[in-house]
Amino acid sequence: METYIQIIANGLMLGALYACIAVGFSLVWGVLNVINMLHGSFIVLGGYLAFFAWAQLGVSPFVMLFVVAAALFLLGFLIQYGAINRVVSKPVLLTLTLTFGLDLILYNFMNVVFEATPRRITLDLGSLGIGEVMLPYDRLLAMLLALAMTGILYWVLRSSRIGRAIVAVRMDRDAAALMGIRVNKVYAITFGISAMMAGACGALMAVVYPITTNTTGLLLGKAFTICVIGGLGSVPGALVGGLALGLIESFAGTWLGAQYAILIGSLLMLTLLMVRPTGLIGKRGYE
Amino acid sequence: MSDLSAIVSPPAAAAQPKRPLLQIQGLEAGYGDVQVLWGVDLEIPNGEITCIVGSNGAGKSTLLRTISGMVRASAGSIHFAGQDMTGAGPDRMLGAGIAHVPEGRRLFRGMSIRDNLLLGAYMRHDSRADIERDLEFVYGMFPILKQREKQDATTLSGGEQQMCAIGRGIMSRPQLLLVDELSLGLAPRAVELLGEALLEINRSGLTIVLVEQDVLTAFDLASRAYVIETGKVSLSGSTAELAADPRVRRAYMGM
Repeated sequence: METYIQIIANGLMLGALYACIAVGFSLVWGVLNVINMLHGSFIVLGGYLAFFAWAQLGVSPFVMLFVVAAALFLLGFLIQYGAINRVVSKPVLLTLTLTFGLDLILYNFMNVVFEATPRRITLDLGSLGIGEVMLPYDRLLAMLLALAMTGILYWVLRSSRIGRAIVAVRMDRDAAALMGIRVNKVYAITFGISAMMAGACGALMAVVYPITTNTTGLLLGKAFTICVIGGLGSVPGALVGGLALGLIESFAGTWLGAQYAILIGSLLMLTLLMVRPTGLIGKRGYE
Repeated sequence: MSDLSAIVSPPAAAAQPKRPLLQIQGLEAGYGDVQVLWGVDLEIPNGEITCIVGSNGAGKSTLLRTISGMVRASAGSIHFAGQDMTGAGPDRMLGAGIAHVPEGRRLFRGMSIRDNLLLGAYMRHDSRADIERDLEFVYGMFPILKQREKQDATTLSGGEQQMCAIGRGIMSRPQLLLVDELSLGLAPRAVELLGEALLEINRSGLTIVLVEQDVLTAFDLASRAYVIETGKVSLSGSTAELAADPRVRRAYMGM
């Protein structure tokens, strides 16, 4: 019994980070209709920034999180405003190619500056033990912060002025412009928020897993898988998809071995694409 | 109906009634290589309802979209309330006081009626209480919107959606309200109700430009009219004059 609880706890701790990865990817896809190939690199960049701040300056990653979030927001905003906005209403293949090209630049830049050696922040905060179940405090804290960020994003989209503008632009670009909403600026803010979520999540991941540039593609793939499982276009969809993938990987990893975790996740994605292409709770809008 | 003057800004040019609120000269515009407007001259007097009529494809909607900044003019000028607004984007046009209720209502799906109305006030930086009061004004004019406040706006009937769209336009506190195709696809009773609401809004001092395919409805509401044909103004004058003009009667009223 305790083994199962441990597997579930591991899955949820992983899943919360997955949800946080996917929610920004899903937002950009849903609102801008852009499949952002840079997303995996944003996560790794956030992880590296947190790692070097910790290793060289001794800054706690849970503090660095906010600096990383601000830096990545700015980077995302500038990339969208300066580059992607120029082609954002063109067919999706063009924006995909552009973000793919930008990703090559960022990926190789990170390879040169940071090198591809896997690095991890080790905090050794101890573990919360409930019976036989062990919950390491660093993972627990990372999970709670990831869930909090996802919750805040949900609230911002539903209840704030900029959130209403983002949803309005998603629904009807022209009608939104008639409300005085500056569409290009809202696009840039949306992309900035997405990069911010990715970077902050990367900082949290560096506490749990080794960070290396080699994982950018893998992380991008996870974001994709989660969006398909949970359903594109909503924060709850990304949350459900992320938690589901975390649990599946946790069970598959324990029963079949770690090498099968990704395989099972991808099989689930394929199955869902065949039987329920909108995902578990997919919506056409974004909320 | 409660205090109408509360919502409508005082007409800026009230002191000079001769001066038109909106003045358009030699306006040319289109989409890419397709030119739609070929030198439109137009004057919208302050405080009146002016209608723009013409057949399908004449350029009526493009004209409105150019006035609200959605389409950039390639030649000509737009002056609003004494200011040169040529080339301004939709946010500046709305900021200057021009609100556009687009053809087909274009309400935001998945959002409540209340949120749709609040988006109309997106550019305003007034206090929450001010905006809340204007919301109550819209609800006072269209009580059905209040009853369904929390409901998805696109689940309303066509006429109710048009009420919501007009309400959303008013929420920006404009000086000029552009309404594109008020009656299109709506039941006669709904058109009647909406027409009365527009007259009421106009009486409180808001200038209205109404684009209509249904000339009878348009002439009923407006005091002045412009007839547009293939991207140019072909006739203009008071609606009483034009209604008696045999050219208008033959082409647009089926008489």
